[in-house]
Amino acid sequence: MESRIIKPALGVYVALFVLFLYGPFVVLTIISFQQGPDGGPQFPIIEWSTYWYRQIFGLTPPSRVAPLPFGEALIRSLVLALMTMVVSTVLGVMSAQAFRRNFKGSAVVFYLIVLGMMVPGVLTGLGTSLLANNIIGIERHWYTTAFATHVAYTFPFAFLVMLAILNRFDSSVEEAAWSLGVDPWTTFRKVTFPLIFPGVLSAMLFAFTLSLDEFPRTLFASGRDQTLPLAIYGTFSVEIHPNIFAFGVLTTLFSFALLSVYGILMAMSVRRAKKMAMQEDIA
Amino acid sequence: MDTAVFRLDGVTKRYGDLVALNNATLEVGANEYLSFLGPSGSGKTTLLRVIAGFEAPEAGRVHFEGRDITNVPAHERGIGFVFQNFALFPHLTVIQNVGFGLTHGKSGLSSAEIERRAVEMIDLVGLSGMEGRGVDQISGGQRQRVALARTLAMRPKLVLLDEPLGALDANLRGRMRNELRAIRERLGVTFLHVTGSETEALAMGDRVVVLDRGTIIQTGTPGEIYDRPASPDVAHFLNRFNLFDGSLSRGSFTGAFGTAAVPQATRANRDVYAVRYDRMKVLPASASTDGPKLRATFIASEYLGSSVMNFFDAGHGHLIEMEHHLSLGAPDTYEPRQDYLLTWNPEQAIVFGREAG
Repeated sequence: MESRIIKPALGVYVALFVLFLYGPFVVLTIISFQQGPDGGPQFPIIEWSTYWYRQIFGLTPPSRVAPLPFGEALIRSLVLALMTMVVSTVLGVMSAQAFRRNFKGSAVVFYLIVLGMMVPGVLTGLGTSLLANNIIGIERHWYTTAFATHVAYTFPFAFLVMLAILNRFDSSVEEAAWSLGVDPWTTFRKVTFPLIFPGVLSAMLFAFTLSLDEFPRTLFASGRDQTLPLAIYGTFSVEIHPNIFAFGVLTTLFSFALLSVYGILMAMSVRRAKKMAMQEDIA
Repeated sequence: MDTAVFRLDGVTKRYGDLVALNNATLEVGANEYLSFLGPSGSGKTTLLRVIAGFEAPEAGRVHFEGRDITNVPAHERGIGFVFQNFALFPHLTVIQNVGFGLTHGKSGLSSAEIERRAVEMIDLVGLSGMEGRGVDQISGGQRQRVALARTLAMRPKLVLLDEPLGALDANLRGRMRNELRAIRERLGVTFLHVTGSETEALAMGDRVVVLDRGTIIQTGTPGEIYDRPASPDVAHFLNRFNLFDGSLSRGSFTGAFGTAAVPQATRANRDVYAVRYDRMKVLPASASTDGPKLRATFIASEYLGSSVMNFFDAGHGHLIEMEHHLSLGAPDTYEPRQDYLLTWNPEQAIVFGREAG
């Protein structure tokens, strides 16, 4: 009785959810195939073409629409996201590891870490920039001040992911390794790390994607050289052409590729995790 | 014992307010098999974890091979540990599990040598041909053997077994017991075996250590423990005695069964009268006897193969068990819900009391 109403209602809800999630992207994709260089970022499509994609890669003759100034910004953003990913994940794994044992002041440290994702980004960015300019007296750069805000922002995510993973971790396998004469560091590398690797992957993915499209913190903290989200935002204030949509499609495809790699790696390590679960079942 | 391989000196371990281990002192000789018996929460696993170095004691010293190892980290102790849940490395194969300590520890062996020793150990526990399997592709009993082989490959002088047979079914348990004995004969290892099963403790141990609430309450050979439990609690854990409360006074004990003469009693902090299950006799309700008399209602019986257990209710839910060994002849059959008279030879009872000398 209930399911006859609730199930279709939930179905409609999910359909609407998907529509809102992907609707903008579909529109964006369609317009990115607008004719160029005269076609604008609106319907109707005058003629289907791949002009704007070719323009991004510099394959079209010069026209009145300037190519997107994204080359360097893109590289900066990717490098920044990679740096952030490595540092946040390492910090996240290490601090979550520390939280496996109760230590004095652990509650305070916990909230201090998590604060990084709670504090409004604009404030963090502004604060960092003021701190750098007026108090410490250093220049702001995407790889210094902005990098610091990115780590402060993504580290809590990596930390929480690892905390959840380690919470369920059966430490008797580590004790077993010690009792076999293997020192704690080697035990971490050879036993703990392979077993928590799915979590590490998720932490990396979080840190990378959050950093890649981070806007409010970077806005104030990055100084002269812009990251990709800032550069894109910058072009909005001039004039919008479909090339920005084509670029959006490409970056989304890149994200999907990244997700696929993540999915494959995840599936591989989940198979391992299943082995572990089976072992626990019989215990 | 002057050939002690291992010694505990007044070891105390607390978790907050809970005293998990209270002033435990113990000596273990070379090539000895010691079983630790106690209810869950008695501190027997804590004891093993302190010995292994997984937990640091608040007080007391741990000595091993003439060395004070109290502050030595677990990986430098050279003491093997077999876990109740086996704790195999799930991402490694059988042979990688067995060779793990040799490969990643300080063995200094070549990989060919490591492989040779791992194969030898796998052969010892009867798993030849399974070297390349993942540990998820083998049965529970086989995992148990991998865990054992993994520990023995390090050639430890002391191996701690934390209820290693608990996760196995009865059949496998029996077989693993025999294999543990055989391995011990071959390798000359000292085993400390923690178990919650009194049968296992008595069957496996050269000596049995009984623990209760963090305290060692009796140490002795299985025969000593079985025949002369040192306290009412030991008698209770052995699960072989009917226990009666009452009072001991001037050579006789008064309880639910009347008053019985007590030739000798053991000093304890309360008065308890214990009669082994197989010393109980059952008479018709109308019979008369000079000995102790206890009216009880027959509930049910259980056939155990070599004996039959009969259960009686002595009123107020006091369950009395009577064991009849089938080697003594066919069992009598009793009528459910019928009253009977239970009695025994008072000379065979074990009596504890405050008054005992």
